[in-house]
Amino acid sequence: MRRHQNKPDQSQPIRPKGLSAKHREWVAGYLFVLPDAIGLLIFLGLPMALSLVLAVFEVNGFGGYRFVGFANFLRMGKDPLFWQAARVTALYAVLLVPLLYVCGLGLALLVQKTNRFNAVMRAMFFAPHMVSLVVVAVVWQFMVVDKIGVINKLTPLLGISGVSFLGDPQFALVTVVFVSLWFLMGFYMLIFLGGLQDIPKEYYEAAKIDGATAYHCFWHITLPLLKPTSFFVLMVSMVAAVAGAQAFDIIYVMTKGGPANSTSVLIVYIYQQAFSFGAFGYAAAMSSVLVVVLMLVTAIFFVMTKGGRFNYD
Amino acid sequence: MTDIKTPGNGISRRQLIRKGALFAGAGLAAGLTGFPYINRMAVRAQGTPLKFWQFYAPGGQVQSQVDWFTQMISAWNDSHEQKVELEYVPNAEYINGPKLATSFASNEGPDIFLISPGDFLRYYNGGVLQDLTPHIDDATKADFPESVIANRMVDGKIYGIPMEVEPMAMYYSVKAFEEAGLNENDVPKTWDELLEVAKKLTTPNRYGVLFETTPGYYQNFTWYPFLWQGGGEFQTKDGKSAFDSPATVQALKFWQDAVNSGAAPRQVLGNGANDAVANLAAGYCAIQNVGIWGISQLAGNAKDFQYGVFKLPTPANGKYVTVGGGWAFVANAKGKSPDAAAQFCAWALASMDKGSVQRVADWCTKAKSDMPPRNSALQAGGDAFKQGNIGTFAKDIHPGTRAEPRVPPEVYKIISDAIQQTQLGGADPQQTATAASQQLDAFLASYSGAPIL
Repeated sequence: MRRHQNKPDQSQPIRPKGLSAKHREWVAGYLFVLPDAIGLLIFLGLPMALSLVLAVFEVNGFGGYRFVGFANFLRMGKDPLFWQAARVTALYAVLLVPLLYVCGLGLALLVQKTNRFNAVMRAMFFAPHMVSLVVVAVVWQFMVVDKIGVINKLTPLLGISGVSFLGDPQFALVTVVFVSLWFLMGFYMLIFLGGLQDIPKEYYEAAKIDGATAYHCFWHITLPLLKPTSFFVLMVSMVAAVAGAQAFDIIYVMTKGGPANSTSVLIVYIYQQAFSFGAFGYAAAMSSVLVVVLMLVTAIFFVMTKGGRFNYD
Repeated sequence: MTDIKTPGNGISRRQLIRKGALFAGAGLAAGLTGFPYINRMAVRAQGTPLKFWQFYAPGGQVQSQVDWFTQMISAWNDSHEQKVELEYVPNAEYINGPKLATSFASNEGPDIFLISPGDFLRYYNGGVLQDLTPHIDDATKADFPESVIANRMVDGKIYGIPMEVEPMAMYYSVKAFEEAGLNENDVPKTWDELLEVAKKLTTPNRYGVLFETTPGYYQNFTWYPFLWQGGGEFQTKDGKSAFDSPATVQALKFWQDAVNSGAAPRQVLGNGANDAVANLAAGYCAIQNVGIWGISQLAGNAKDFQYGVFKLPTPANGKYVTVGGGWAFVANAKGKSPDAAAQFCAWALASMDKGSVQRVADWCTKAKSDMPPRNSALQAGGDAFKQGNIGTFAKDIHPGTRAEPRVPPEVYKIISDAIQQTQLGGADPQQTATAASQQLDAFLASYSGAPIL
């Protein structure tokens, strides 16, 4: 009887003792992710948590900590430069994100066919992204310098003269948006290229048989099927515009937030408060608010677009 | 015995999981337990030498300055048990960057470092400046003119020893003057004359006159003389704002007029308006507002460039005054050995010993072009301060020098915004001065640090 009970059930697949195959895969997956997760936790999660703690202290940068509760957050409300920086940040994002979307997609459509010419074009469009941001900022700074910059020498041909691209508050933000766009659009072109290649060619062939024009194909096949890619691009570019490395590096090198604070985005203002003025607590409070706002905007966008997933209803 | 491997694969899935787990575990263990040991080892590895952070040596670009620093350190290390080690921090990271600020925030600040008057209060109020007075004898204290040392003193104690005095002046291109049919007799003496001459010197490829346009401590520093020349101040003796005055409005308007007339640019080249090579010698402007260091800059990097210097023009109702900046040696009160660091600072620049006096003179005449902060060093420099453009500085420009004021960052920002808004933002100077003055009053009412000068 006992021997009979121990006899393996021939109807079930033979598996070793311990975890099931499903669980072993589960463990393997998490183990592979673990090093990255630890890295993110130490270098991203921990600083974010510490930043929240720092935000309730007045920190002078020399080891002096004084608990001030929400005073740093209240200070933001009364600080006109914070609101000015918030406005500039919003304007920078509102200008940059749609431009990045349109230019990234436009370039991808332009070079999506695989041939030698397009391969060269793709490399050319992506090349700016390979250059150090500081170098990009310095080179453009020279190109748009008053009177003697290459761009300033060319603009009179378009009937525009005497424009100070970085010295006039009216033009400075638009100029840094343009430089950011030039730097980033090649990267988003690549993302869109990946999305375009995922669209089955049969859809276009069927549409053409039905007499669809290129315009119809774009609006009724390409754009709807790029929904997940579009979601990714809009999300990532929005975060990049608000807190990206380029938002800081290009602006800090080209204008230091000037002229007259016209390019002082939040991330530049936070840097100034922390490292120029030693107001680490206030800077941490602003950083925390920035992170929360970004998370909220992302969440709202995620809910509204269902995370870029297709709607099969 | 060998491990059984899955045929066709180098490693079985089970092994991969096991090794992955081991690797991750090792990483985690290292993260949790290893860092403190590594940290302690790193601290020990720093050894006993005191760290001296600055932006001149041993990695600096001007050999004479590198030599001055390395010779000074060698002389100290040869005669003292407590060694000092130079650590070069690039200028961009040191002055405008986070390196110095974050080092103190993480309690890893250097033992000895350089600061300018613009940063003095931040570090003093932070409690990291060591009192150097006990290491300086009375004769040496008397050797520093009051106007030079005052902005490094609090309650009669010296917290920084200046290595130089750097008055601001105007430099002009001889070639640009000749092209415009001008000569040294046309050197402007008033603000109105300066704008008139600048307009004559302006061409499609060149600006007539150049002032700093980039927001920052340096722009404020270069603007102060124009405020003072009309009798303006930013603070009264009883600690209230004095910024809302005709002199402030006049100074703000002068820089605004220079830009609006097209004679002055909205942008500057190179490292900014303190860079005479990238702006004046390169032909971007004909007259540039630069400090005395411009002489060594041009001598080192634009040897053939012909130029002259003249003192800052004054407003019609004003008197001549310029501003003198300059860096100072300071010791970290929270460092490894604050007393030894303070002793080093005093030995290097503030002793009646012949070597100390000559060191200051050499810095101002051989390593760099500056006015010395000590009377004895001025004498030791001898004829070097009587010749050429340095001679012009010593004779005409330096006598009107007023020390750069030390201001807390909050005051700097208010003044900086006022300059930027009027110079480049087109704001009304009177309204801007009034608004800035109200902000200053609000800040000064709650300020509790060392006196602002």
